[in-house]
Amino acid sequence: MSISKFMKGLTVACSIMFLFACGGQEQEAVEPVDVVEPSEPSAEELYHQQMIALAETRVVYFDLDDDTVKSDAAAVLEAHAYVLRQDANLVVTIEGHCDERGTPAYNLALGERRANAVAQALMLNGVSSSQIKTVSYGEEQPAAEGHDESAWSMNRRGVINYEG
Amino acid sequence: MNRQRFVAFLLLMIIHLPLSAEIEIVITSGMDSARPVAVLPFTWTGRTETPPHDVASIVASDLRRSGRFNPMDRHDLVQTVDNYAALDLEAWRKKGIEAVVVGTVEEQPDGKVKISYELVDVFLKPQGTQGVANLTPNRLDAYAVTVDMNGLRFEAHRVSDRIYFELTGMRGAFATKLAYVSVDKSLPKPYRLMVSDSDGFDSQAVWASNEAIMSPAWSPDAKKLAYVSFENGRSEVYVQELFGAKARQKVASFIGINSAPAFSPDGRMLALTLSRDGNPEIYILDINSNRYSRITHSNYSIETEPGWFPDGQFILFTSDRGRGPQIYKQHLASGAAERMTWESNYNASGSITPDGKTMVMISRVNGVYHVAVQDLETNNVQILTKTTLDESPSLAPNGSMVIYATVYGNRQVLSVVSTDGRFKARLPSKKGIVKAPVWSPYIE
Repeated sequence: MSISKFMKGLTVACSIMFLFACGGQEQEAVEPVDVVEPSEPSAEELYHQQMIALAETRVVYFDLDDDTVKSDAAAVLEAHAYVLRQDANLVVTIEGHCDERGTPAYNLALGERRANAVAQALMLNGVSSSQIKTVSYGEEQPAAEGHDESAWSMNRRGVINYEG
Repeated sequence: MNRQRFVAFLLLMIIHLPLSAEIEIVITSGMDSARPVAVLPFTWTGRTETPPHDVASIVASDLRRSGRFNPMDRHDLVQTVDNYAALDLEAWRKKGIEAVVVGTVEEQPDGKVKISYELVDVFLKPQGTQGVANLTPNRLDAYAVTVDMNGLRFEAHRVSDRIYFELTGMRGAFATKLAYVSVDKSLPKPYRLMVSDSDGFDSQAVWASNEAIMSPAWSPDAKKLAYVSFENGRSEVYVQELFGAKARQKVASFIGINSAPAFSPDGRMLALTLSRDGNPEIYILDINSNRYSRITHSNYSIETEPGWFPDGQFILFTSDRGRGPQIYKQHLASGAAERMTWESNYNASGSITPDGKTMVMISRVNGVYHVAVQDLETNNVQILTKTTLDESPSLAPNGSMVIYATVYGNRQVLSVVSTDGRFKARLPSKKGIVKAPVWSPYIE
C-alpha cells in the first residue's frame, strides 16, 4: 500500500526529528556528563505518539465534485485507523459535506460518497466496519459561511467524530 | 372605531407588516412589452375606516410581477371610480391604458366580506348587438364573491388570476402558495419550513427545527408537503398535512440517505432517493400500501432528484452514470431510460412544464450555475439567469415563471425569472437566508 509505505517513511523521518529535538533539549538541560543512555523511545512508541498527534485532525478535505481521499488526508486517516484498531469499542461517525455549488439533492449524494470514501480508507487500514457509521449533510451544514473558494474549500470535507 | 383606537390599529399594522412579509419582491429586469393597465382603488364599506387589505394594490403588484403588465401608478390615475358605468373610457384611451379594473369590498353583517370586480377593455370596439342592447359592451369580466375576512388577501390573488386569464388567455398562478426553507441562526430553532402566498406575504412556519430541512415538495392538492428533515441527525423524509389535524408522518428513514421526495401527478405515489441498498437510487413509494419499488439500478452512480412528467408515465432524474450529473428520462412501465441533456457537463434538478414541451434545470456554464430551459423538441438550451449560484428551480403551475434560490449580496435569496427569460425579480429575505423554494400547484 502506498499509504503505509508513505507512513513508514513519515515515521522514520519523524523519529529522526524527534531524536534531534531530544538531543537539543538535553544539551541545554544537562552539560557534559558521563551518562546513562536516556531510555530511547522505541519505534513503536514513536509511531504511537505520531499517530495520536495526527488523529487530532478530525477533518479531511476534498476537491470539487470529487470523493477521492487526497494524500495528506490519507495520512490523517491512517492515524485514525491506528487509534480505532487499538480499541474495538471506539465508534466513529463520519460526516460527508459539500460546498454550496450544484444542487442540494445531488450534493447530499456526493456527501455520502465522501463519507464512504473516508470509511473505506479506514477499513483498508484494518478498522472493523462495525466501528464506523456514516452520515451525509450535503451542503446543509457549511463550516465556513461565504460564497467563494476560500469558504468552499473548507466546506468540501469529511469529519470524523468519535462517539461518547 | 374612535380616533385613538384607529391610531393604535395603524401602529399595530405597522409593527405587524414586516412579520407578515418575510420576503418582498424587487423587480430587476422588466419586459418592454408590458401592457399598460390601471387598477383603481376598490371602494371599501365596513366597520373600520380602512379595509384590512388594499385589494387594488395587491392586484396591481400581482400584474406587475407577472412581467406582462405595467399598472399605472396610483397618483397618475385619471379618475377613481368603482364601477363600469362610471368609467370615462375616453379619458383612459387618451392615457393609452388598455384595460381598467374597478371594484368594491363590502363588509357583510355576519363579518364576512364581499369582493366585486369588473375588468374593462378600454379599446374594445362594441360588437353587433343583434337588437339586444348591450349595457356593458367593453366589459371583459365581472365577478363577486363573499369570503371570510381572513381570506380577503388570497381572494385578491384570485381576482388577479381572472384578469390575467382574460387578458392573456393563460391561467394565472397568483392564487398559489410558496414553500421554502429559511435559516435564521438568531432563532432558537433556526431551520424553518415556511409557507407563504405567491407574493411572499402571509408567511408562516409550518415546521421549525434545530437541524437542517431540505427539498420541500407539494402534493398535487396543495394540502401536504413532503420534505427532508435532519432532526434525528441524518436525512429522513416526512410528509406533513398543512390543514386540519396537521398530521406529520415519517415516511422514509432507511440506512443511508433518504431524500428528494416528489409526489406523482395523481398524488398516490412519492418518488424519492434512497441509498439503503448501498448507493443512491430512485424509488417509488405507493403511499396507500406503503410499498417501495426500486426504479433505477446503476450501482456505481448517483441517481437522485426524481421528478414526474405531467402524464405520470415517465420520471426524470439526475444521474452521473455518464460522468458528471446529467438528466435522464425513464419510462416507468418498461424501465427504458434515455439521456436528455448534452450541452454542459453539469445538468441537474430537471422539471417539466405543464404542457410537456420544456424542461427547466440547473446548468453549469464555465463553472457557473444558472437556471436554464431546454426545448424538448429541438433540445435547444437557453440560459435564463445572470446569477451564478442558482439551485432548486421550481415552476409555477402555469409554467410561466420559475422560482429558484441563488446568492445575491453575499446572502442566499429567492429569485423569479419568466420561462422566456425576459422578466426577473428578486425576493430578498429581511432576516437570515431563504432557500429551496417550491411553487404550489393550483389551489382550488
